[in-house]
Amino acid sequence: MITKRLIVKDIISIDTAVSTDNGDAVYQKIVEVLNDEHEVILDFKGISMMTTAFLNATIGQLYSSYTSEQLNKSLKLQNVADDDKILFKKVIDRAKQYFANKIDFENSANNVIYGS
Amino acid sequence: MKVHLNAKIISAYGGYNHIIELYHRIKNSSDNDIEISFFKTTWFEANLAAVLGAIIELLESEGKSISIIEVNNPNTKDILKRNGFLVDYGEESISQRQQTIISYKKFNPNADNEFINYIKNELLSKPDFPKHSVLLGKRINENIFELYENARTHGRCQKIHTCGQYYPNKKRLDITIVDMGRTIKNNVNEYLKTDMSSSSAIQWALKYGNTTKTGNISGGLGLSIIMEFIKLNQGKIQIISSDGFWEYLRGETQTNILSNYFPGTIANIEFNLDDEKSYKLKKEISLDNIF
Repeated sequence: MITKRLIVKDIISIDTAVSTDNGDAVYQKIVEVLNDEHEVILDFKGISMMTTAFLNATIGQLYSSYTSEQLNKSLKLQNVADDDKILFKKVIDRAKQYFANKIDFENSANNVIYGS
Repeated sequence: MKVHLNAKIISAYGGYNHIIELYHRIKNSSDNDIEISFFKTTWFEANLAAVLGAIIELLESEGKSISIIEVNNPNTKDILKRNGFLVDYGEESISQRQQTIISYKKFNPNADNEFINYIKNELLSKPDFPKHSVLLGKRINENIFELYENARTHGRCQKIHTCGQYYPNKKRLDITIVDMGRTIKNNVNEYLKTDMSSSSAIQWALKYGNTTKTGNISGGLGLSIIMEFIKLNQGKIQIISSDGFWEYLRGETQTNILSNYFPGTIANIEFNLDDEKSYKLKKEISLDNIF
């Protein structure tokens, strides 16, 4: 399997990973590589600061199309500052919950609309 | 029409209520040429320039022509010149020798990197910023970015107005972010199909996991992270939206109803810089199989 390294700082051209828009730009790059069935190393080298707003877009959004199993197999995180790791954990836990609720919500809406 | 600001305007219920009342008086006036006078004002907390600037922009978009006059008190004039607020009203900009100023700025919500550069220049690079640990500085900045992203995402506004101030004696940093789009009450009630009061809607929005987002980007973390940090840091947070005033200060929450509604959201955070907690994690988090 081919492995591609995505350097966050190079994609967003700034050392602060804080905005949703920049997070979405990184998400689009990850999806491109995953759709080619390659493995991704997401490298946070040189990133001095990050927010959950950025990570919701970059990482949380992946749960709209991929499972935990797929992500654990194909996406590796590197050079994350120790004190930022907690933000990943929070965003991932929240995204799992959010998409589970979203599916429940959409299913119940479908039941109401289509009576299935 | 000439309207007077009160003598003392501070970041508290009375200060916000006064500026919001002023907005409604001007909005409801049949006169379109308005002079806002600082004649009686001897104390105006600099970060509130963001609130005044935001309502002036809204009034101007509603057809009013606003001028600021009689800023006679030397301290008030000096601070509002230094933070750049009076530049739009004919005063010259002066250099920020005083490093306690955080400039008044308006941002287009699409210009995210401009805000990042503003925070870098105004906060991170100031030599006189009170001594604090590197990790505390990082957390403060992250919280400001979380708050700004929240305003960008939920306000759907024309401009986001920000301003701040250090209080070196108190070792406190205040930063105010104002968006004039949707109110929290509108967003929450529309999403939940409820009829909550403004304060209840603000309280709901601050809780972990609660979000009005519906797309593929999850939410419900930013405000709860700020709250968690402010509690540890023993800081202060005030949120004003529609007719709701909500404040957290050292373990106590206070809510109140404003005399008039504010057509947007004001968030004012006060960080405690005299904080020696390490903010280090108790246990190591592994990134292996984190998904």
